[in-house]
Amino acid sequence: MSGPARLTLALPKGRVMEQSLEVLRAAGLRLDTGGGARALRYDAGDATIIEMRNADVPTYVELGVADAGVVGKDVLLESGSRLVEPVDLGFAACRLSLIRPRGATGTVQRVASKYPRLTADYLRRVGSGAEVVKLSGNVELACVSGLADAVVDVVQTGATLVANDLEEVDVLLRSSARFVVNRASLKLKHDALRPLIEALRGLPGSF
Amino acid sequence: MSFNPPDGTRYVLPDAAARRAEVVGTLRGLYRAWGYDLVEVPALERYDPAHPRQAQSFKLSDRDSGVLALRSDFTPALAQLVRAEHPAVAGGARRPLRWQYAGTVWHAIDPELARTREFSQIGLELIGVSNARADAEILHLARESVRAVGLQPRLEVGNPGFVRVLLDAAAVPDDRRDGLADAIDRKDRRDLADLLATTPGGAAPDAERARRALLAVPDLYGGGEVLEHARAVAPWPAAQREVDRLAGVLAEFEDASELMLDLAMARRLSYYTGVTFRAYTPDFGQPLLGGGRYDGALLPAAAGFSIGVERLLQATLARLAAPEPAPRVLALDDPAARVLRDAGVRVVRALHDDVEAARDEARDLRVPFLLVAGALEPVDGVPAGDGEQAELAGLLRRRPAAGDGA
Repeated sequence: MSGPARLTLALPKGRVMEQSLEVLRAAGLRLDTGGGARALRYDAGDATIIEMRNADVPTYVELGVADAGVVGKDVLLESGSRLVEPVDLGFAACRLSLIRPRGATGTVQRVASKYPRLTADYLRRVGSGAEVVKLSGNVELACVSGLADAVVDVVQTGATLVANDLEEVDVLLRSSARFVVNRASLKLKHDALRPLIEALRGLPGSF
Repeated sequence: MSFNPPDGTRYVLPDAAARRAEVVGTLRGLYRAWGYDLVEVPALERYDPAHPRQAQSFKLSDRDSGVLALRSDFTPALAQLVRAEHPAVAGGARRPLRWQYAGTVWHAIDPELARTREFSQIGLELIGVSNARADAEILHLARESVRAVGLQPRLEVGNPGFVRVLLDAAAVPDDRRDGLADAIDRKDRRDLADLLATTPGGAAPDAERARRALLAVPDLYGGGEVLEHARAVAPWPAAQREVDRLAGVLAEFEDASELMLDLAMARRLSYYTGVTFRAYTPDFGQPLLGGGRYDGALLPAAAGFSIGVERLLQATLARLAAPEPAPRVLALDDPAARVLRDAGVRVVRALHDDVEAARDEARDLRVPFLLVAGALEPVDGVPAGDGEQAELAGLLRRRPAAGDGA
């Protein structure tokens, strides 16, 4: 073996990407992402980075196209992928909650969500017979417009809820960004991944 | 009417089918050389709600209103065969049975994420014996299977017995064990800590110590040093015995460099009782095979592994030489064709008895030579290998053409 193997990392576009790069650098990876526009897949020095929508990260890591990645626990659970998730990075903290118009009391008949799997699991758990509608855009709109009488969505500060006269009725789960690893890579690229995992865990806010 | 096969099934065309037969043949030969006899079991099984994969099995209704299931796993089927044909072994007699199998299994699952519903497995079982030498033999053959198809093996080896002992010591109630084992298997310390915090029981000092040990298990992976770490994490006799068991298996290997330990492997905790493993190869992100020891689950003593043939083929694809050559000769001369076939040459029988039509037929098939009246004639526009004609002619001269018919 000539030094640790090179890693390919799957990172979600947007703010989580910047925070992910920050913690990966703090953990000792030299990552040069250049400025301005970047290719979808590029060599960033100590690792190759591929950028994608957060919901696709579990697929890329599960099939081993990426050795590791960063993804929210909520998205990971919704994907149903079984990945190794050795570090809770702590950032992008949010709740996945059941939301209704303020003061609504009737039985919930229809729930709209970007998280149909977790929503259905939750409704089964609480014994509700409500139907689930999968949406991909602004879910609050479903409640405001009357498409559904409740939604399951991510709540970070709650400001959007207040602005739309909605309220958080129940919390399904608490989420934060996880460092996820392909099971084969953990064994094949142990020399590169083990120290990275240890270093990420040592950062403030990580567990 | 669709010409496509049902979701999650596929056609296999000649090149791929030939590669598959070659890989299966190679592995069968390897297991045979180690004394594993080939057995067959029915693809139609009586539906059994206690079957480990019953939730994933296709069910069919039988004529008498009974329910059948398509084979979803070879191991339970082989266990049935042992009960039927070797009741003494099924009853606990220590007599080794070495069996290999190959065939199709069906899983009634959503055909998502690159998973098929109909696939081929090849594997082996060593039944009727439970010791470190038997574990090592299985592990060795798993590693050799990967090597035999030209891939570099890397095995992860664990022992779910270690996690089971810690769960016992931590007085974890039955309904919480699977959740905890799952978090350990995913190395998810956050989930594990949260779950442990809400798990009742375990006020005794020993249980408290076992809970701390459980939190350390996700990090017990790596080289041989892991055994020492595990001993330090759980320094009580029942846990030490599980570490010893793994150490005993590793001691059987002259070169354990391709083995990596992972004591957090804890899936199917109620099924696997001893050493478990999966095999990987560089630049391929999914396991090639998996197996382990499952004493008491289906039979008193048994261990084995199974290989997903399609996945193995996918991993070997990049490393294989050119596909099998097309047939080399189109024959109008049956006795001469037989001589070439006996020498291993692929010879197709012409469908036209007219030489001119046979020439066209050979061109269409891209076969480089026509065999007419004991002589080879190159086919226009179809490239042949250097010296191939002389070589084939040599084979024809070596044996007198005799007999008749195709």
